[in-house]
Amino acid sequence: MTAAVAAPAQRRRVARIGDGLVAYIGFVPAIILLGLFFLVPLGIIVCYSFWETINYSVVHHWTFDNYHYFFSVTAYVSTMWATLWVAVVATALAIVLAFPFAYWLSRYVPRRLRTPLLVLVIVPFWSSYLLRVYSWLTILGEKGVLNWVLQKTGITNHPLGVFLYDRPAVILVLVYLYFPFGALTLYSSIERFDWNQLRAAMDLGASPLQAIFRILVPQIRPGITTAVIFVFIPILGEYLTPQIVGGTGGVMIGNLIVNFFQAAEYTRGAAVSLLIAAFIVVLLVIFRKSLSAKEAYGA
Amino acid sequence: MPSAPAPPAATAGIELRSVVKRYGNQVALRGIELEIRDGEFFCLLGPSGCGKTTTLNLIGGFVPVTEGEIWIRGRRIHELPPHKRPVNTVFQSYALFPHMNVRENVRFGLKMDRVSRAESTPRVEEALALVGLEDFGDRMPAQLSGGQQQRVAVARALVKRPAVLLLDEPLGALDLKLRQRLQIELTQIHRDVGTTFVYVTHDQEEAMSMADRIAVMNDGRIEQIGTPEEVYRAPSSRFVADFIGDSNFFAATVESGVAVLGDGSRVPAAAGEGPATLMVRPESIRLDPGGALRGRVVQTSFLGKHVRIAVETGAAEAPVIVALHDPSALPAVGDGVGLAWSTGDSVVLEPEPA
Repeated sequence: MTAAVAAPAQRRRVARIGDGLVAYIGFVPAIILLGLFFLVPLGIIVCYSFWETINYSVVHHWTFDNYHYFFSVTAYVSTMWATLWVAVVATALAIVLAFPFAYWLSRYVPRRLRTPLLVLVIVPFWSSYLLRVYSWLTILGEKGVLNWVLQKTGITNHPLGVFLYDRPAVILVLVYLYFPFGALTLYSSIERFDWNQLRAAMDLGASPLQAIFRILVPQIRPGITTAVIFVFIPILGEYLTPQIVGGTGGVMIGNLIVNFFQAAEYTRGAAVSLLIAAFIVVLLVIFRKSLSAKEAYGA
Repeated sequence: MPSAPAPPAATAGIELRSVVKRYGNQVALRGIELEIRDGEFFCLLGPSGCGKTTTLNLIGGFVPVTEGEIWIRGRRIHELPPHKRPVNTVFQSYALFPHMNVRENVRFGLKMDRVSRAESTPRVEEALALVGLEDFGDRMPAQLSGGQQQRVAVARALVKRPAVLLLDEPLGALDLKLRQRLQIELTQIHRDVGTTFVYVTHDQEEAMSMADRIAVMNDGRIEQIGTPEEVYRAPSSRFVADFIGDSNFFAATVESGVAVLGDGSRVPAAAGEGPATLMVRPESIRLDPGGALRGRVVQTSFLGKHVRIAVETGAAEAPVIVALHDPSALPAVGDGVGLAWSTGDSVVLEPEPA
């Protein structure tokens, strides 16, 4: 009697598990790809960071020395702080520039003109990253466009070298490189905003700025967070831009990693890489809450 | 400007003086003269594109006037930005702030005015009670029905105690039953707070059921201003007669109380002389074997509260519509009938331009 009642329920459960498996089949290629080319290498790097390099070869001897070494060298620690600072400033500038662009595009530009404008934002991606960075040398360099203009207009009478090979140059180029990510991400979240809300806010006595910061910004917070993540995290790992336009004054943590690996100090390089990775994980955990808008709106 | 115009009489809640609005070459409003009394429930009624929403936006300050002046309670306000006007708006889309709960939505306007929390809290609760949402303060807008969201929008606007409340088709998104209920609620709220309501709608029934007075607008002009009864019983133009309620039109020549129609029949008509358009409401027409206007029934429709009969005549292009409330003696389709009405039920309008 009991069995007869239980049987259909059991069959239903089996069927449900089967359905579940079918639903997950789509993930298999991605899981294989991720496992093979991300998780396994990550595991290797984790191991490396706790091993030792002796005479240019990795010795499987467990130790914290690599981490200890990094924090014992003042230049490395200050480079780490400088990297954070550059990333924060460049991200802030990129977002601050991207916000008015996205705002203007989604509020005032007619729909048919938006796609061409968005394509314009993406156009830089059609040329190589390296080319885009190198071209800044021809703008900021001593024989570059900027110096040419300054001399032609009589503002200076000799070429200035101050524009290149320091952190400001790095920040400028990073802002240029990552602006499109910020602009596209912000646009996609502002685009859905109901502009009547701003009118309502102003109708209720808010000034235009108050309306933007109290009504629009809180609602696109997930978009802003996404934009910050998309810009900040890649900048943390940047090494070509600081190398090309930053020179010795613009060194970032990515350059340290490259140097370690080029000097065959794989275990120290691995440790620094993991430091960045750990920092990013902490960051994502902090940001996790503000990524979900649904929770906040009680929808 | 050397001579400032005299401020309007104290009883005028809102006054629009020769207000013109152009968008580039396009004229949206062609010289609006309008006086809305303090505390009045006033409807701007018209088809889409007639300028009623533009008029509302000009009062609200979302759109600048091209020419003319707007006064509210003796103050010229058309140069002030929206947030400096004693006016609040209920938007068609409600435009509630989805990231704030109901209470914070209602409080927002007071916060912008730097009203202290101690003062704003009772006012917020009072506004919520006014619209019957005192138990919903902690809900998020997404958790409310359309009708409730609408009420929040009203409370949010009224909590600021504006001189004028503008309502832009606020019931447009709701279904008929709910709309009728909220129409009653809105008129009750209006009576409770005594604020001037300016209500934009394209729905003539809505305007008729709520408004103290209606301005019927067409093509950037006000065609007629009057109480619902006035615009219904004495429309000033064919447009108004056509837009409000059902109507029958006849091209006619009027002479001393008699109108001669296109088929030669002589029917009763109100005062007027010469060529005219004669308008008679369907419910004013009765079937009368002795009626001067003869025709043939082409359709009878049972509509619940009345029976609608369409009668083909030689006097009008469209079949004449008759609304019968006594369905006992119904003619059949194809029957010949006579139509009659009393003089007072006919309206003589300008003739159609040839």
